[in-house]
Amino acid sequence: MRQTSITSDNTVFVLLSFEGPDRYSLAGGLGVRVTNLSWTLAHMGFPIHLIFVGDPRQKGEAIRGEGRLTLHRWCQWISKYYPDGVYHGENEKLYDFNESAPWFVTEHIAKPAVKQDKLVVILGEEWHTAEAMCRISDLLHHNGLRDKVVMFWNANNTMSFHRINWGRLAYTTTITTVSRYMKHIMWGIGVNPLVIPNGIPKSFLSPVDANAAAKLKRSLDANLILAKVARWDPDKRWNTAVEAIARLKARGIKAVFLARGGIEPHGEEVMYNARSLGLTVKEVRTKGNTLEDYFQAIEDASRADVLNIRFPCPREFLRIIYHASDAVLANSGHEPFGLVGLETMAAEGIAFIGGTGEDYAIHLHNSIVLETSDPKEIEAYVMYLEEYPEEKKRIRKAARHTAKQFTWEEVIKNLIRKLEYQARIQGLLTTPPRIPAPDQKPSEYPEIVPSHEAMLIGST
Amino acid sequence: MAEDLSIYTVVHQPRRLKLPAQPIPQGAKVQDIERCLFDEELNKRYFHKVATYCYYPATEMFLELVQQGFKLAISFSESFLRQAQAWDKKLLTVFQELVKQSNVELVNAEPYHSFLPLLDLRLFQKRMVRARNNLEKVFTKRPLVTDTTEMIMSDSIYHALSGSGFSGAFFDGREWVLGWREPTHLYHQGKDLMLLARHYQLSDDVGYRFSNRGWWGYPLLADTYAHWLREARGDFVFLAWDYETFGEHHSKETGIFDFVRRLPEELAERNVTLHTPSEVIANYRQQSFELLLPAYPCTWAGEGGMEFFMGNAVQQALFQLMLSAYNKALLSKNRELIDLALWLAQSDNLHLIQWFGRSGSDAEVSAYFTPGEWWQLGTSGIAWEMQQVYKNFIRALDAYL
Repeated sequence: MRQTSITSDNTVFVLLSFEGPDRYSLAGGLGVRVTNLSWTLAHMGFPIHLIFVGDPRQKGEAIRGEGRLTLHRWCQWISKYYPDGVYHGENEKLYDFNESAPWFVTEHIAKPAVKQDKLVVILGEEWHTAEAMCRISDLLHHNGLRDKVVMFWNANNTMSFHRINWGRLAYTTTITTVSRYMKHIMWGIGVNPLVIPNGIPKSFLSPVDANAAAKLKRSLDANLILAKVARWDPDKRWNTAVEAIARLKARGIKAVFLARGGIEPHGEEVMYNARSLGLTVKEVRTKGNTLEDYFQAIEDASRADVLNIRFPCPREFLRIIYHASDAVLANSGHEPFGLVGLETMAAEGIAFIGGTGEDYAIHLHNSIVLETSDPKEIEAYVMYLEEYPEEKKRIRKAARHTAKQFTWEEVIKNLIRKLEYQARIQGLLTTPPRIPAPDQKPSEYPEIVPSHEAMLIGST
Repeated sequence: MAEDLSIYTVVHQPRRLKLPAQPIPQGAKVQDIERCLFDEELNKRYFHKVATYCYYPATEMFLELVQQGFKLAISFSESFLRQAQAWDKKLLTVFQELVKQSNVELVNAEPYHSFLPLLDLRLFQKRMVRARNNLEKVFTKRPLVTDTTEMIMSDSIYHALSGSGFSGAFFDGREWVLGWREPTHLYHQGKDLMLLARHYQLSDDVGYRFSNRGWWGYPLLADTYAHWLREARGDFVFLAWDYETFGEHHSKETGIFDFVRRLPEELAERNVTLHTPSEVIANYRQQSFELLLPAYPCTWAGEGGMEFFMGNAVQQALFQLMLSAYNKALLSKNRELIDLALWLAQSDNLHLIQWFGRSGSDAEVSAYFTPGEWWQLGTSGIAWEMQQVYKNFIRALDAYL
């Protein structure tokens, strides 16, 4: 008898991505997304295979997540020639991935699962997996299995869109993306993706240590703290941010800007601009890796207007920054989803959001949604919130409340509903006799995130 | 009229390139370079296919025939042998059994099925000697006569082979090489090395035309063919075919096996005697004729000239890349890399893009040898990706210089 819904008993997940949970494989938000998505699925009871470009020094295959998550480290024979991470030797890896992963998925995962009468869900992430997804579809079709498998391919951003054969991809998979903003962009290339938002681990909702936040504030000795965590990329509007700091300083306000960028050269340009605007800039480095070390490093450098943080920040420390700041400038001009904004909100921070892909943001309700790249807009809202501290308080509360709706557990519920919709179209599931009312209860799944994948990332 | 007949077949499977070209990691080890260059999965698939339709049934047939007095000369490329050793050892045993027969002469072959004599004549000599030793090891019979890749022969190749201790070699008996002479005599160019000229018309009647329903001679029956052989003017007829003619180029359904099985009887009725190439040389050495071979190599492929392999721009570009790959590999002084460069110099890589920008029967033959899996790349895509394989290899050599 056909099933009516996707459950952990009747479904096997396969997740394809270049990035993954190994430190070697973590380059940005994608690695975090894939790690959390796979771990949460496993913890919800689903068997899941994660195929990613893994660390060449680790085992090719490893079992995690209470035995339900199988990590398949792909392209290891190539990665050993490219020690500088997942995208080092990208083309070489891409060829190998496209050549070998589809066959593996078909022969070693899909075929045995279908034999056991299981529904197979294959999720592909980002442009790197687009060709592999098409080839998997072809192979499944060749083996008479295509209609037994639901395939979703997801765009997290617009990178290398020109390298995707959209006609073929749209024919072979269901295309998804992370925000309505992305959906509108993708309409322009002739596809209409389903929107499934990004998520955050439930642990991000735990209260931030108030003492630690107070300590950070004390160590900075400033009237206002503004922070920004992003790649050094013009799209992130770093220059708008430093200009806003300069304007606040010109008002006679002692404002400090905590800047955590990446390794991109645009950082030099931003710091040059800050100096040109009369701001003092200091680099913050530390050899230690405890919170005390981080606070000390910041205190040591605190006489500057701009503190350029040059050490990897663990999530715990970032959350303290988000919480302690008067404004976290997630003010990108182009943001497919904007995880930093959501993470700030989860930490009860005040997120200043750029207003593109951040579907979760509602202006002056749970965040400040900026409409322009004008630094005066940031300045004006910072001053407004200074004048109305109760507004600040209210926004912080509302922000956390919103963030609760974007935990991975909630996002996966959304994903599963959409997968079920597709599975019904394919005749793999029957329509349930009645549609139950949405479950308003908080999720029953406790959060588990691997400790070694502590996400020592500095930017998203 | 010719009373003697010699039949020779060559067993070969190419080591096909991996298309689309796989990028080679910087600093890759030789084994990793190798896996990026050649599509061994594809090769394995074709090998098993040809083994099923040709090698097994044809060898069973020839074994039966030689045990009844039929005589056959046979050669094996190293390219074939390594595939058999890797993927079908039983087949190798079957061939060993065939070669063991006293009526079978083992002929030497250029091991890589490459155009090595056009790249490096000295190395060609060394490799031919090594191939002879290797074949002797595998089949416990020492080859005395040698073939070359695609039966290419020229003045310089003749002298290289003569200096390598062979008693005989083959060339394609084309008019532009022979002039007024007939292919049915034994030739030499002043040295001990004797030359058997392949009778290309009579060979191609079977090799190319046997299953061609549009050919005036179709259907070719054994009695007709035996008659044609007997009617040829001269001392002897030398026929040479791909071994894959039997069951692969012409499927079993065309009647090719029945044709060959019937042939000995029809030849006997017409007093045509079968000989091995060495026997032909022994019988006719004293009455062999001098022939000045051309400086431009001749071949049994296409119209008999190297334009079959280097006639279009893509082939010329690829040959340039073969040269660059080989010479740069030499600079590395790494034997394994030089070996890879020689595999890349396989003639098949030029053969199978003869069709580029062409049409007609030669192009059809060439297209037949192009792996079906490649056509999805399109004609230009195949040409581009083939070149890319060489460029990737040439680049990968940087780490060794």
